[in-house]
Amino acid sequence: MSKAKAGLLQGTLDMLILKALFPGPLHGYGIGQRIAQISGDELKIEEGSLYPGLYRLERRGWIESEWDVSANNQRAKFYKLTRAGRKQLIIEERNWERLASATMKALRAN
Amino acid sequence: MSRVKATVNFIHGWQHPDEIADEVEAELRFHVQMRTSANIEKGMTPDQAQLAARQSFGDFDRVKASCCEIKRGFPFDLKPMRMGLYIAIACLAGGVALVAVNLPHHNPFGVLWQLIAIAVLMRAFLIGRRKQ
Repeated sequence: MSKAKAGLLQGTLDMLILKALFPGPLHGYGIGQRIAQISGDELKIEEGSLYPGLYRLERRGWIESEWDVSANNQRAKFYKLTRAGRKQLIIEERNWERLASATMKALRAN
Repeated sequence: MSRVKATVNFIHGWQHPDEIADEVEAELRFHVQMRTSANIEKGMTPDQAQLAARQSFGDFDRVKASCCEIKRGFPFDLKPMRMGLYIAIACLAGGVALVAVNLPHHNPFGVLWQLIAIAVLMRAFLIGRRKQ
């Protein structure tokens, strides 16, 4: 899969954001970096597209934000998972595993 | 976000749209600055680094507008409310139909009421089906 062309399925970005925030709070840039890191640099997303996703997740109550000072002493908005967000991540992971396994089964069928 | 906090944010957002826009812009600018610094560390000149940062970010104004729109949007799921509205319309239509059926239909006025009731019920049924 070409890195630059690797598109994300609808809803996948939301799941990746939740996953990136699982270890602890991060700002938007950090979330992008974390997604690249956990995907082994295979998933390249247009960085700006991360933010509407973050705002949507916050509206759903799965993440919450707070302004704080970053490592380089700049004001930055940090996001963290809520309890509802943790539950949602588990649901999304299960759904994704089921979908991936069903798709693989279909592709391998003769 | 609790419902109370979401409602307060929603009202605040409508009262002070500029504050929301400024907050979103500050957040997005921070991202571009961080990417620019990372590009400089990789060996780019400041101008190259900024250009590359903007390119990898995408359309700044579009992202900002999209974030502001989401932030100012209604904070609750409208589906249950919509569902309640359809049920209320259906009950109303049912009531109208009941009244119409009990009207004497040997006069034109009674027949007209029955036709109206049928039209209202059909309309409610069609709207309900379209939403599904």
